[in-house]
Amino acid sequence: MQHYLISLLIFIPLVAALAGLIIPARAANSFRYLTLAVNIVQLFLFIFSVSLYAPDGGMQFIEKQPWITLDLGSWGVLKAEYFVGMDGLSYPLIGLSVFVLLLTTISSWTIDTSVKGYFTLLLVLNASIIGSFTALDMLLFYLFFEFMLLPMFFLIAIWGGARREYASIKFFLYTLLGSVFILIVMIGLYISVHEGNPAGQLVHSFNMLNMQDPSHFISNAVLDPNNSWQLGVFNARQWAFLLLFLGFAIKLPAAPLHTWLPDAHVEAPTPVSVILAAILLKIGGYGLARIAFPIFPEAAMYFSTFIGIIGVVSIVYGALNAMASKDLKRLIAYSSVSHMGFVLLGLASLTQEGVTGALYQMVSHGIISAMLFLIVGVLYDRTHNRTIDFYSGLSSRMKAYTGFVLVAFFASMGLPGFSGFIAEVLVFLGAFRAPSANGLLHESLAIIATSGLVFGAAYYLWTLQRMFFGPFNVKGRILPEQLTDLTRREYLMLIPLGLAAFCFGIFPQLLIRYIDPFAKGFTEIILAAGKALTLTP
Amino acid sequence: MDSLESIRWSAVALAPDLMLASGILLLIIVGLIWRNAGLFHGIALAVTGIAFAWELLRWSVGNEPAVLFNGVIKTGDFVVFLNLIISLGGILTVIMTWLSTRPQQRLPEYYALILAVILGAHLLVMSESLLMLFIALELISICSYVLAAFAFDKSATEGSLKYFVFGSVASAVMIYGFSLLYGMSGTLTFTSIEFVQGIAEQPLPLFLAASLFSLAGFLYKVAAAPMHPWVPDVYEGAPMPVVAFFSVVPKVAGFGILCKFITILNMRGFPDWQLILGVVTIATLTVGNFSALWQKNVKRLMAYSSIAQSGFLLVAVVAFSANGYQYFLFYASVYLLITFLVFLYLQEFENIGVTTIADYSGTGKSFLWPAIFLLVGMIALTGLPPTAGFTAKLFVFSTLWDGYSVTGKSLLLWVLVFGLLNTVVALFYYLRIPYFAFVRPATDAPAENNFTKTNLLGAILVFLILLLFFKPGLLMGWINKINFVP
Repeated sequence: MQHYLISLLIFIPLVAALAGLIIPARAANSFRYLTLAVNIVQLFLFIFSVSLYAPDGGMQFIEKQPWITLDLGSWGVLKAEYFVGMDGLSYPLIGLSVFVLLLTTISSWTIDTSVKGYFTLLLVLNASIIGSFTALDMLLFYLFFEFMLLPMFFLIAIWGGARREYASIKFFLYTLLGSVFILIVMIGLYISVHEGNPAGQLVHSFNMLNMQDPSHFISNAVLDPNNSWQLGVFNARQWAFLLLFLGFAIKLPAAPLHTWLPDAHVEAPTPVSVILAAILLKIGGYGLARIAFPIFPEAAMYFSTFIGIIGVVSIVYGALNAMASKDLKRLIAYSSVSHMGFVLLGLASLTQEGVTGALYQMVSHGIISAMLFLIVGVLYDRTHNRTIDFYSGLSSRMKAYTGFVLVAFFASMGLPGFSGFIAEVLVFLGAFRAPSANGLLHESLAIIATSGLVFGAAYYLWTLQRMFFGPFNVKGRILPEQLTDLTRREYLMLIPLGLAAFCFGIFPQLLIRYIDPFAKGFTEIILAAGKALTLTP
Repeated sequence: MDSLESIRWSAVALAPDLMLASGILLLIIVGLIWRNAGLFHGIALAVTGIAFAWELLRWSVGNEPAVLFNGVIKTGDFVVFLNLIISLGGILTVIMTWLSTRPQQRLPEYYALILAVILGAHLLVMSESLLMLFIALELISICSYVLAAFAFDKSATEGSLKYFVFGSVASAVMIYGFSLLYGMSGTLTFTSIEFVQGIAEQPLPLFLAASLFSLAGFLYKVAAAPMHPWVPDVYEGAPMPVVAFFSVVPKVAGFGILCKFITILNMRGFPDWQLILGVVTIATLTVGNFSALWQKNVKRLMAYSSIAQSGFLLVAVVAFSANGYQYFLFYASVYLLITFLVFLYLQEFENIGVTTIADYSGTGKSFLWPAIFLLVGMIALTGLPPTAGFTAKLFVFSTLWDGYSVTGKSLLLWVLVFGLLNTVVALFYYLRIPYFAFVRPATDAPAENNFTKTNLLGAILVFLILLLFFKPGLLMGWINKINFVP
C-alpha cells in the first residue's frame, strides 16, 4: 500500500476521467458523484498516509519504474523514469491539494452546462496537480506541468465569464512561455548530467536528485559547474537559473510577470479560480524550491538579492493594485500576487525560518485564497455582479456570510491567530536575520516588505467598510431579494477552510513539524554547495 | 562486374520502385477500360501497400549500403527508412482520398501522379548523382504541379500555376548550380571523393554561388524560407489528401537528400554551412509561425504551419551530427502521423462545408470525437506532452544543445531559443481551431455517428501519437541502428 500511495493518488482521477469519456451524456449528472467519490478517496488516502509519513524521514513513498530508456549509440543512453516521492516540501502541498480539490468539486455542483466535460477536465487537472507535486524525474514533472495547462485553458475558456477568450489565451500563452524557459534548461540539464553506469556508457537521466549533486555533471558539459563559458555577464548556470526563475515566476506569479493572473481569475468560474489561486500558483513556488534552488545553489545565492527585490516589489505592487481594484475578485487576485511575494522573499533569505515561512505561506495562502474566492463566488452566484461600489451594508442582510468574510479577510491580512500571521512572521524573521546569517539580503528589503502588511490591512478594511457596513444599499441592477444568506452547501465549503486557517494559526507546529526538517536540510545544503561552487570556479 | 549484370542486379534491389512504376502503367491502362472508382482506390492502395511491405521486408533483413546502376543511386538503411516513411505517406494519402466524399474526377490519372511522386521521392533520397537527383526532383515537381490543380477550380488553377512558375525557376537555378559544380569537379557523382576534392580547390565566391544555387532547389522542395511563398496558394487550391501528401512526401524526400548534400558541401570546411542553414532555420520558423497567426482559412493556416514544421525538421539537420540525423528520422515519422491525423479531420470537416476557422464554431458539440482527435493533432503539432510531437521536439532540441556543447557555436543556441519561443507562437494559432470548436457556440447540430471508418483511422493515429510519447523506444530502437553515411 505504502509503495503505491502516490500512484493511487495520481491514477484514480485519471481512470475516473477515462470513465467520463465513455459514459453516455444522459448519465452526466451521476458523474458529479463519481468526481466527489474520487476526491473523498484521495482525502482518505492522504489521511491514511499521515500515520505512515515520518517527518524527519526525507523522501518517502518513493516509487521508481523504468519509463523511457533509449540507447543512442555513442552519445549514451537517455533515461527517464516514473520516479515519484514526497518530502517535507511536497507533502503539505499534496495535503492542501487533496483538501482544496474536494471543496472545488462541492463548489462545482452548480455547474450545469456540459457537466461531463467539466468534471472530466477537473479530474485530469487533479491528476496532473498531484503528479507535478510528486514527480522527481524532470521529464515526468514537465509532463504533468504542461498537462495542467490544457484542462485549465478549457475550464476558463468554456465556463468562464464575458472576456473568457482573452483571459484563457493570455493565461495559456504566459504559462507556456514560462514552461518553454523551463524546457530549455531541462534539455541542457539532462545533457549535462550522467548516472554512474558499470557498462561504461553515459546514462543521461532526468533524475532531479542527481542533478542536485555537482558530481553527477559531465565534465565540461554546458551546465557543468566547472565550465567557464560566459554569455554577457553571466555564466551558463546563472543563465539557466534565471530561465528557471522566469518560468516559475510567471506561474507564481511575481511582478512584473503577473498580468495574466487578474484576467484569468476574473473570468474563471469560481471553482476554477479556487484551484488556480490555491494550488496552481503554488507550483511556481514549489518549482523554485524543488528545481531552481537546489540544482543551481550558487546561482540562487548570486541572485538572492534580485529575487528578494522581486518578492518585495510583488508584495507592495500587488497590494497597491488590490487597493485600486473596483472588482472584488480582481482585488483578491492582486492580494494573491502580494502574498506570493512573501514566498519569494522567504526563499531568497535562505535561512531556515525564512524558507519555513515561505512554505508555510504557500499552504496558508492556499487555504485562505480558496476561502476568499469562494466568498466572491457566493456573492456572484446571487447577483452576477462583483463591483465593490454597488454594495453597502451587506452585514444587515447576510449575517453569516459577513462572519465568514471577516474571518477570511482578517486571516488574509495576517492577523495573529490565523495561519497567514505565522507564515509572514517567519518570513520576516528570516529576511531580517539573512543579512547577519549569510549576508544575502539587505535589511531594507524586510523593512519595505512589512509595509505590505499595512497596505493589506488598508484594502481589506476599506472593502469591509464599503461593502459590509453602513446602511444597506445596492446599486446597478441588483435586487435586494437576491441577497440571501449562505446555503448549506456553502457552509460545507467555508467552515472547513475557516477552521483550517484558524487551526494552523493557533497550532503552527502541526505544519511546521513537516516543513521544518525540509527547510533545515534545504538551507544547509544550498549554502554549503553554493559556497563550495562559488569558491571553486 | 559486367555492366549488364550490374544493371540486372540493381534492378532487383529496386523492386519496390519497379512495382510503383508498373502501378502507374497499370492505372493508366485500367483507367482506359474501366470507370470504377473502387477499383482505382484498390489498385493504388495495393501498389503503395506492396511497395511499403517490400521496403519493410528489406529493412527487416538488414541491408548494407549498396551502390547501384554504376554509382547513380545507393541504398542503405537511412534511405530505406526514409522510403518507408514516404510509402506510408502514400498509403495514408490513398486512404484519405478513399474516405473523401467530394466528387472526384480522373481518379486513374490522379493515382498515377501520386505514385509517380512517390517513385520520384524514393529515387531522390537514393540518388548519388547530380543528374539522378535532378531527374527525381523534376519527376516529383512536374507531377506535383498537376496534382495541385486536381480540384479543377479557379483557386486550384492559380495555385498550380504559381507552383509551376516558382518551381521552374527554382529548378532552373538549381540545375545552373549543378552545372557549375559539375564543371568544378568533373564528376556527377556528388558523394565521390573526386567531387569533394574538386570543390575543395575552387575559389570561395564561385563555390558559394554554385552551392547556394543548388540548395535553392532543395529549400524550395522542403518549403523553407526564403523559398516558401508558393506554399499557401498551392495548399489552398489543392484537394485535402493532396495537401496532406505534399506536406509529407516531397518534404521528407527533400530533407533526406538535403542531409546528404549538405554533408558533402560541408566537407570543404569553409564556408560554414551550419551557419547558413542555421539562419535559414530561424527564418523559416519565424516566417511560418508568424504568418500563420493571421490566417482565416484552415488550409492556408496549415500551409504556414507546414513551413514552420519544416523549420523544426531543419533544426534536426542543422546540428550536423549522427544523432541529429536519427532525430530527424524520428521527427519525420512522427510528423507523418500527426499531419495525416490533422488533415484527415480537416477533410472530414471540409466534407460538411467547414473551411474557415470561424466555421468550426461549435463543432466540438456535434462532432465530439473528431474535434477531440483534431485537438490531439494540434497539440502534437505544437509539441506539448503527452504526444509524440513533444518527444520529437525534445530530441531535436537536445541535439542542438549537444551540438552546442561540442562545437561552442552560439548560433546553435540562438536556433534553440528561437525554436522554443516559436513553440509559444505556434500554440496560439494551433489552438484556434479547437478553440472555435469547443468554446464558440454551435450554429446547428447535425447528428453524429462515431463509428465511422475515418474515426477508426483517426483513433489508430491518435493511439500511435500517444504511444510514441510514452514508449519512444519502439521507434527509436529501430532508428538507432541507422548509420548515416552520405
